[in-house]
Amino acid sequence: MALIDLRDVTKSYRRDQIEIPVLDGVTITVDGGDFLGLMGPSGSGKSTLLNLLAGIDRPTRGSIRIGEVEISRLSERALAGWRARHIGFIFQLYNLIPVLTAFENVELPLLLTSLSKKQRRDHVMTALGIVDLGDREKHYPRQLSGGQEQRVAIARAIVTDPTLLLADEPTGDLDAKSAGEVLTLLQRLNQEFKKTIVMVTHDPHAAERAARLLHLEKGTLVEQVKVGA
Amino acid sequence: MKFIGLILKSARRSKRRTLLTVISVAIAVFLFAALRAVLDGFNAGAEGSSSTRIVTQRSTSLIFSMPTSHAEQIRNTPGVQDLTWASWFGGIYKDPRNFFAQFAIEPESYLRIYPEILLTPDERKAFLDDRTGCIVGDGLAKVYGFKIGDKITLKVGIPTYGRQDFDFNVRGIYRSGGGSVDNQSMWFHWKYADERSVVKGQAGWYVMQIANPDHAAQVSAAIDQKFANSPYETKTETERAFQSSFVSMFGNLNLLLGSIGIAVVITTLFVAGNTMAMSVRERTTEIAVMRTLGFPSSTIFLLIAGEGLMMAILGGVVGAGLARAIVNPEFLNAGTFIPAVGVNGANMITGLGLSVLIGLLAGLIPATMASRLKIVDALRRAA
Repeated sequence: MALIDLRDVTKSYRRDQIEIPVLDGVTITVDGGDFLGLMGPSGSGKSTLLNLLAGIDRPTRGSIRIGEVEISRLSERALAGWRARHIGFIFQLYNLIPVLTAFENVELPLLLTSLSKKQRRDHVMTALGIVDLGDREKHYPRQLSGGQEQRVAIARAIVTDPTLLLADEPTGDLDAKSAGEVLTLLQRLNQEFKKTIVMVTHDPHAAERAARLLHLEKGTLVEQVKVGA
Repeated sequence: MKFIGLILKSARRSKRRTLLTVISVAIAVFLFAALRAVLDGFNAGAEGSSSTRIVTQRSTSLIFSMPTSHAEQIRNTPGVQDLTWASWFGGIYKDPRNFFAQFAIEPESYLRIYPEILLTPDERKAFLDDRTGCIVGDGLAKVYGFKIGDKITLKVGIPTYGRQDFDFNVRGIYRSGGGSVDNQSMWFHWKYADERSVVKGQAGWYVMQIANPDHAAQVSAAIDQKFANSPYETKTETERAFQSSFVSMFGNLNLLLGSIGIAVVITTLFVAGNTMAMSVRERTTEIAVMRTLGFPSSTIFLLIAGEGLMMAILGGVVGAGLARAIVNPEFLNAGTFIPAVGVNGANMITGLGLSVLIGLLAGLIPATMASRLKIVDALRRAA
C-alpha cells in the first residue's frame, strides 16, 4: 500500500472575493522509502502541495491519506499531534529559532513528547551526529554558516524519526557546495535510513538526486519523469 | 516545566524591551501598593474605632468650636456613661514643614475614655500633674528624637490661641493600643491652651462613652436635640463616622487615590499588552514554524501568555518589594498625622495579585493572536 495517496486534490484561495485556483485535481501516490522531487515554475502549486502533505493547509476538495490516516478530516488539534509524530519539515530559509542553540532547536519537537531529559539529549545528539554537527550543539544560528544552519534544520526534522520528510526548496538559499552537502545528506537519509522524502525544488541539480520526479504546471500534474530512465 | 526554559529564552530575546516592561509593571505595582498604604493609613482611625464611643461636633464644621458648658448637658443624656473633650491646636514646631497633629485634651477623662493610649503609670502621673506637660506618640518621638524630659516649643498656628509661643515638657511617650489612636500625635492639657485663648471655654469636639453600642443612634439624636435651634447646633455620630469625616476634610481620598491607582494600572496594562503584541508580531515566523513542528495552538497560547505573566510577576515582585522597603515610617522619616503609613503584607499581596492580572490581561490578546495564526499565511509572509 502506498504511504501517500492523494486523490483528486483541489486547492483554491480566496482573495478579495476572487477564487484563485492553485491545485486542480492532483492525484499522486508515493511509496514508503521513495525520494520524490516536485518541480515546476513559480505559482505552479508545488509548495501548496507540500503544505497539504504536511497538514498545515487543507484541500478545498479531494482526499489526502498518509499511512492509515485521512488527514484532511482531522481536527486542528489532532492534526498538530499527527504532524509532531509523522512529519519532518525542512524550510528553504532554515527557520531556526535564533535565541535557541543548535541543540535546543533540534530538541524543540521532542518537547512535545513524553521523553525524559536524558532521552531527549540522546535523540538530539544522534540527530546532530547524523548531520555531522555534534560539535556545534552549543552554537546559536548566527554562529553557523547557511549550510550548517540547514543541516541543523534537517536534524530538527529527523529527530522524532518521522514517517515523512518534506523539504521546501532546501538548497534554495545555499551556495553550490553547501547545497551539494545538504542533498547528499537527504540522499543518505533516504537510502541509508529509508526515509520517505518529498522535495520541492527549482534546481535541476537538486532534482537529479530524487529517485522520482513530478512536474507541476498551473496546478496540474503535467509530466512524470523517472530519474535515470 | 520543560517549556519554562523556552519562555525564559523568549523573554531574553529583547532584553531592553523585557526590562522596560518589567520596570513599567514594577512602577505600577509600587504606586498601587503605596497608594493603598496611604489610604489604609487614613482609614486606620475609622477601621479601629470603638463602637462604644460617639463624637459630638458643631453641625456646621469641625473647625468651629463649642462651649465647654455643653459638657454637663451631654453628660446628663441617658445612655452616656462618660465624657471628654478635645481641640485641634495646629501649632508649628520650628518650621511649618514639621507638621504633626497636636490636641488639647481634658487629660484625666481623655485617658480614661481612650485606654488605647498606652502609658506607664509613672508617665501617666507625671503628665496629669504637669499643666504644661505633654505626651507624644512613639512614632512621633522617633521622627523628631523627643525624649521624656525634653522641652518642646510650639508657635501658635491658629490665632485664637494668642500670639505667645507654648512651651511643653515631654512627660510621656505613649504607644498606640488600637487603630483609633495613632502614634504620631502630641496631646497636652486643654486648660493650658484655654488660659491663653481669645475665647475661653471652647472645645472642638466631645467624645462620649456610651453604655450600649446598639443605642448609638438614639443617644446621638438625643444629644443633638438638646442643642437644636441654638447658636451651637451639634452633629453627633459614631467615632467611625467622625474619623471618616475627619479624613474627608482632605477630599474624597478613596476616589482620588483609587482613580490614580486605576489609571496607572490601566496604562501599564496597555503598555505591557502592546509590548507583548509587538513581540508576537516579530515572532510570527517562529510561531508558524513551531506550529508546523506540531505545537498545538493551546501550547502556543500558554507559551505567549506565560511569557507575559512571567514578566508581570517579576515586575510585581520588584514593585511590591520596593514599596515595602521605601514606603514605611522609618524610611520616610517625615512627620505626619497619618498613623504608620507603611506597605503591609496585604498591600504587597494586592500588588502582586494586580501584577498577575496585568500579566494575564496583557498576554491575552497577543497569545490569542499567536494561537490563531494561520501557518501557511505566516510562512508565506516570511518567504
